[in-house]
Amino acid sequence: MAKKAKPEKAKKGISKIYDFGYLRYIFINIIETLLRMFPLLCKTGLIKIGNPDRTSPVFLTCNYHLTVERVKRALRGMDCYLLVANSRGINVWCASTGGHLTNHDVISVLKTSGIEDLVDHRNVILPQLAATGVESKVIKEKTGWNVIWGPVYSEDIPAFIENKLKKTPEMREVKFPLLQRIEMAIAWAFPISILSALIMIPLWPEMIFPTAFTIWSLSFFIFLTFPLYSRWLSSEGRRIGFIFFDFGKGGFQLILWGIVMLCLIIYSLLAGLTLEFVLRWAVLSFIIVLILSMDLMGSTPLYKSGLHKDRFLEVFLDVERCRGVALCEQVCPRNCYRVNRELHTTTIVRAEKCVRCGACIVQCPFDALYFKSPEDEIITPEIVRRFKLNLMGKRVIKIE
Amino acid sequence: MRILESIPSRYDRGIRILTLGKLDEVYDRLTSHIKKGQRVLDVGCGTGALALRAAKKGAKVKGIDINSRMLEIAERKAKELNLNENTEFIEMGVAELGEEKDESYDVVMSGLCFSELSDDELEFTLKEIRRILRNGGMLLVADEVVPESNVKRIVSWIVRFPFVLIAYILTQTTTKPVRNLKEKIERAGFKIELARWNKLGNFVEILARKAEQEGKYG
Repeated sequence: MAKKAKPEKAKKGISKIYDFGYLRYIFINIIETLLRMFPLLCKTGLIKIGNPDRTSPVFLTCNYHLTVERVKRALRGMDCYLLVANSRGINVWCASTGGHLTNHDVISVLKTSGIEDLVDHRNVILPQLAATGVESKVIKEKTGWNVIWGPVYSEDIPAFIENKLKKTPEMREVKFPLLQRIEMAIAWAFPISILSALIMIPLWPEMIFPTAFTIWSLSFFIFLTFPLYSRWLSSEGRRIGFIFFDFGKGGFQLILWGIVMLCLIIYSLLAGLTLEFVLRWAVLSFIIVLILSMDLMGSTPLYKSGLHKDRFLEVFLDVERCRGVALCEQVCPRNCYRVNRELHTTTIVRAEKCVRCGACIVQCPFDALYFKSPEDEIITPEIVRRFKLNLMGKRVIKIE
Repeated sequence: MRILESIPSRYDRGIRILTLGKLDEVYDRLTSHIKKGQRVLDVGCGTGALALRAAKKGAKVKGIDINSRMLEIAERKAKELNLNENTEFIEMGVAELGEEKDESYDVVMSGLCFSELSDDELEFTLKEIRRILRNGGMLLVADEVVPESNVKRIVSWIVRFPFVLIAYILTQTTTKPVRNLKEKIERAGFKIELARWNKLGNFVEILARKAEQEGKYG
């Protein structure tokens, strides 16, 4: 409903309506940051921004509601088309890497949204982070549309357009700035504090608010101070964890918690305290252990999760096959590549920054890149394209 | 943000059988209309429930789906049943139906696929199905729909809700029952010969034929 009306009115610059739109935007951002851990769907298909004509640019994004809102905001004031592809309500990077935003979803929205009747050109701008799951070569073959890899963040779109669809290295790189860290702190604290409040209602109602307060402050502390300790983060060793939680080397945090529990039980036996006392402190301390054991590296775009088996993979370049077309450079979210435009040669200059997202391997038209495990096992581009990561960071290759 | 990196492969539609229970019966009834030697396309074949039934009746079946893992299961099943000569499974979405030739099928069927499509996709798919069916060709559909009466809509919502919740928690997938499916099929230029709803009115089996002349809005 507001979709159609908003851009026109915003264009006229009527301040009242502009403010209302902005308030709505802020409100959506707050609510959906609280619910960040859950997929939120919105309608797929075509959205007109401003008054587009037959030469207007065509953008594509996922159908995670917050993403669509942010992209629409970034495109405000432009005349263009926005295609929303089905990513099952998950953000672009996660959906593409996990196999929820695929070639089929992109082909589908290009073919069925009616965009082909509205523009004369066949260029579609995709978010760079979709490169782990959407293959530009296949899209071109199946639909005739050229994929242009846009910037990582939607707020860079206006500058990207101004720069004649060329990205600066900054536009290609994922970052973890203060605002995003605050978002992550909230996204963590909210569901965990709700869950612990539910547990505390029957167990220890007086502690609901102190627990919630502890969870929120710990969560904020962890993410706000991130730049201070991030250099010491490491993913060495066998870690124990499950999806969102990383209990450290050999389950260190769990063992520590076990020892504390043992002491607590012994103490209460000696002091003659009740079972209720033990249970209450056990639950409370476990919640704190839980928040301290969040999969921190996996919650940032800068590191590979310490739980993911493929964190030790390395990207290798087959120089013989490389023709220096620089697609890897275009899609690498960590600016690991440098391509020499005259000699058409590629070098991996910042290998230590690699997050093993696999975008470069998926996109390389000459299959010049591949993963290699520490055991010298080769993971071919075909496998990287076909089998996506599950929640535990494994490529599910076998079928039952 | 790498939280939801992926749902494991247990993404099978098994969860939805929970909501139906009688799916086998429905599929048997639908495929009973298929005759030996017919050229059949199964749109969104999944693990081949409909396609293999049709192949057993002696039809030449092509199954398409976007999930390559489900297709591998379908292929394996076909091999086990010695039906692999009559079946072919290809990774292809509905948006790629343009690759199929005009009037090249006697029957097009689809089970639990339309409810995964957006309105745009469904409209496109029905148009394409009409194009690739021969005149008088059959369209067989079994899918979740929004009940037509308000009372049934509410009852169906209440009955479905726990399953929707479980499916969402386990697989983060949810289905979108189709609104006015019968009308949509008619509007795309088909003549409905048979439409059979379940008691709750939230599941329908449809047998339609490609109408000789252009559809009303076609």
